[in-house]
Amino acid sequence: MSRKLLINLVIIVVLAAVLIILPIALNNVYWTSILVIMGVNILLVSSLRTIKLVGHISLGHVGFSLIGAYGSALLVMKLGLSFWAAIFLGGLMAAVVALALAYPFLKVKGIYFALLTLLTAETFRLIVWYWPSLTGGFWGLLKIPSPNPIPIPLIGTINFANINNYYYLTAFIVSLSLFVLYRLERSHLGFKWIAIQDTEVLAQSVGINVKWHKMLNFAIACFFAGIAGALYAHYQHSLSPDATSRFGVLMSIYLVVYMVVGGESKFAGPIIGTVVLTVISEFGRALGEYQPMMIGAIAVFVMLLMPEGLIGLPNRGKLLYRKLLNQTQRMRRS
Amino acid sequence: MALLEIHNLSKRFGGLTAVSELDLDVGQGEIFGLIGPNGAGKTTVLNMVGGTFFPTRGKIIFKDEDITRFPPYRRARRGITRVFQRDVLFRSLTVLENVLAGLYMSSSTGFTEIFFKRLSIHGQEKALYEKAVEILQFVKLDQLADEMAINLPHGNQRALCLAIALATQAQLLLLDEPLTGMNQEEIKAMMHMIRTLRDEKGITSVVVEHNMRAVVGLCDRAAVLDYGRKIAEGSPKEVVNNPAVIEAYLGKEDDAV
Amino acid sequence: MQAIVNGFALGWLYVLMALGLTLILSIMGILQLAHGEVYMIGAYVTYYCCVSFGVNLYASMFISMAVMAGFGLFLERFLFRPVRAQILAPIVISLGLTLILMSTAVVGFGLYERSIPRLAQGSFVFLGSAVPKDRIIAVGFAVGLLLLLYLFLKKSKYGQAMVASAQSWEGAILRGISPNMMSSMAMAIGCALAAAGGTLAGSILMLTPSMGTLPLVKGLVIIVLGGMGSFLGAAVGGVFLGLVDGIIPVAFSPGLTSLAPLVVVILILLARPQGLFGHE
Repeated sequence: MSRKLLINLVIIVVLAAVLIILPIALNNVYWTSILVIMGVNILLVSSLRTIKLVGHISLGHVGFSLIGAYGSALLVMKLGLSFWAAIFLGGLMAAVVALALAYPFLKVKGIYFALLTLLTAETFRLIVWYWPSLTGGFWGLLKIPSPNPIPIPLIGTINFANINNYYYLTAFIVSLSLFVLYRLERSHLGFKWIAIQDTEVLAQSVGINVKWHKMLNFAIACFFAGIAGALYAHYQHSLSPDATSRFGVLMSIYLVVYMVVGGESKFAGPIIGTVVLTVISEFGRALGEYQPMMIGAIAVFVMLLMPEGLIGLPNRGKLLYRKLLNQTQRMRRS
Repeated sequence: MALLEIHNLSKRFGGLTAVSELDLDVGQGEIFGLIGPNGAGKTTVLNMVGGTFFPTRGKIIFKDEDITRFPPYRRARRGITRVFQRDVLFRSLTVLENVLAGLYMSSSTGFTEIFFKRLSIHGQEKALYEKAVEILQFVKLDQLADEMAINLPHGNQRALCLAIALATQAQLLLLDEPLTGMNQEEIKAMMHMIRTLRDEKGITSVVVEHNMRAVVGLCDRAAVLDYGRKIAEGSPKEVVNNPAVIEAYLGKEDDAV
Repeated sequence: MQAIVNGFALGWLYVLMALGLTLILSIMGILQLAHGEVYMIGAYVTYYCCVSFGVNLYASMFISMAVMAGFGLFLERFLFRPVRAQILAPIVISLGLTLILMSTAVVGFGLYERSIPRLAQGSFVFLGSAVPKDRIIAVGFAVGLLLLLYLFLKKSKYGQAMVASAQSWEGAILRGISPNMMSSMAMAIGCALAAAGGTLAGSILMLTPSMGTLPLVKGLVIIVLGGMGSFLGAAVGGVFLGLVDGIIPVAFSPGLTSLAPLVVVILILLARPQGLFGHE
C-alpha cells in the first residue's frame, strides 16, 4: 500500500472516530443539533461546489433543497413511504426539476445563470407559500415524523427522535454523499467537467458534449441538495417557506459565503468554510443582530484579501515563509 | 469517394456574404491547402467544417455522413478535429493532462469507473496514461509532460494542440494557420509533423495558410478563395502560378497601399 | 382599479431599481445584489433627514440620492473595482455587503416599521374608484427621473459613453473612455435611482430593514424579462411586471404571480437566450 494511501486511510479513521465520539463527548442537545444542521449545510455547500466545477454559480441551491425537503416530507406524510425511500425520491425530484431547468438555463452566461437560479429558488419558495392545500402554505408543514425506528436484533431499536441517533444518521448520509461527490470529481466525469470550465471550446473539440455534461452536473448537485433538504425536514419536524427560513435568499447567500471563505479550489474547502463559519456564528450568537454583519464582513474581507479562501492559507504560509527565509539570507550575506 | 465533401456551401452574416457556393472535395490522406487573401472566407469555411457555426446553405459530408448540422463535439467524435489559430489549450492542466483530456473522449463514464476508480486503476487508467505518453513521444513533448501547458513556448504549444488532436483519434485535421508566428526551425518541424501524421497515421489535413512557400512544400492540392468564392484549385504549383490568383493577391496589396 | 393603480405605481418603482441594476450590470459586469439594501438605506436616510431633522420631504429625497450616490462611489472604488474582472468575487462581495448593510440597518434603525410622510394627502376619483394622490406623484417622480436618465444617456457625452461601453467594452476603450469613470458613474447613478425608489416606496409603504429584498428580486426579474443589458427592456419590463403584480392577485390567484414570471422567463430564454431586448 502506498504511503499516500496509508496517510489518507489514517485521516479517515481518525475523522470517523471523532465524528462518532463527538455527540457523546459534548453531551449537549443544543450542540448536537448544531452538528446536525452543520452536516446538512456541509452537504449543501459541497454540492454547490460541484456546480462550480463546470464553471457556474448557483444562487438558488436552497430552492432544490426545498424540493427535497417538502418532497420527502410529503411522501412520508401523505403516501406513507418509509424515510429511506422518501429521502431518495426527494433528491430525485430535485434532480429531475434541475435537469428540466438546466436546458434553458445553461444557455446563458455565468452571471445571468446565477441570477436565474436565484429567481428560481424564490419562485419555488413562493409556490410552496401559495399552495396551502399541499404544503401548508405559510403556516408551514408540521409534524413531520422522524424516520421509523430500526430494530436491531439482540440490541434494541434505534429511535431517531433521539437527537444523538439522528446525528449519526446525518453523519452517515452526509459522509456517503460526500464520498460520492468526491469520487465523481476525481473520475473521468469530473475531469470532463473541469475541462469544460477551463476552455469550453476545446472541450467541445475533443468530443465532450458540453451541454449534456453541464446538465448532468447540475442535476447531480441538485440531487444532493434535495437529500440535504430532506435530512433537514425529518430533523426539524416542520418546514416553513418563510423568507427568513433556510429556504430564503438569505440562506443562499450564506451557502455561497461558506463555500468561498473555505475556498473552492479543493474539495475540503467548503467543508472547512462551513465548519469554521458555523462555529464563529454560534459563538457570535450573543451578538445577535451583529451576526450577519460579521459574516458579511468576513466574506468581503476574504474575497478582497484572500480569494483562495481558508484552504489557500497553507500555501500562503509557505510563500510567506519562503519570502522571509530569502530576506533573512540576504540580510545575513550583506 | 472523398473523405470530406463540401457541396454548395454558403455563409451569410446579416448582409455580408462570407462564403458562397463552395464545392470542395478532400481525399483520404491528402494534405489540402486553403489559401487566399485576407478576408477571403478561409477561416469561415474551417469554422463550418468544424462546427463552430452552421452554413446558411449547402452541405458538408464526412465519410458519407451528412454532418452539416452536427454540433462540434459530434464531429469530433466522428473524427474531425479543429486546431485553432490561437493555441487553445487547457490552461489549468499539465501537458500530460491535456492529452489525457483528448483520450477521455473515448472513455466511458459509467458507474463502475466513477466509484471504483482505485480498483480499475490498473485497468483503463493505466492504459490511457501510457497512450498519452506515447502520443507525447510522437510529438516530442514527453520530457515536458508535467509542465503546465500555458508555460510552454509557442512552438511547443502548437505541438501540444496536435497531440490533443491525435488523442481524439482524428482522421481529419483542420489546421488554422499552423505556421503563423514561428521561426524557420519551428516551421520546418511543424511541416514535418503534419507530413508524418499523414504518412504514419493516415491523417488527412486541411490547412489554411498564408505562407506560400510552406503551402507549396506541404500540400498535395490547394484551393484559392477570394471574397468567399473558389477561384482556383489544383496542385500548389499550378495554383500559385494561376494569373487569377496572382491578381487576387495583388489587388489586395494595391488596396492596402 | 385600485389594484391596477397600485401595481402601476409599484411597477415604476421597480423600474427604478431595475435600471440601476442594469446600469451596473451592463457597464461593470457586476450583479449588485446589495442594491436592495441601497434602496432601503436610501429610504432611511430620507427618513432621518425628514423626520429627525425636519427637512422638507422632497429636499430630503434629493439629499438621500446624493448621499447614496456618494456611497456608491465609495463601494465601487474600494469593493468592486479590485475584482471587476472576476465573476464569483463581485457576487460574493455584494452578498457580503447585503449582510452587512441589512444588519447595520437592523442594529441602527431597529426592527419596527417607520414611515415617511406621504407625498400628498387624499385621493381623487378616477374611472370609478378612489386613487390615492401619492401614488400618482410617486409615479410622476419615477417617470421624471427616468426621463432625466434617458436624456442623459441619449444627449450627454458621458451618457452616450455609458451606452457605448454597455454594448462593447473594447469599443469604449478605443474611443478613449475610461472604464473607471464609467463604473463610478454607473454605480453612482444606480445608487441614486435606488435611493429615490426607496424613498418613494417608503412614503407609500412602510420602512423596514428588510424592505429591500423584494424590490431587488423584482428588479432582477425585470432584467431577465426585459433582456440582459438593455435599458429599454428594463423599463418596459418594469411597468409590465408592476401591472402584472397588481392585476393577477386580484383577477386570478396570488399563487400565479410567483409562477408566471418564471415560466415566462424560461419560455423567453428557450426562444431567445438574450432575453427580450438584450444583446449578448
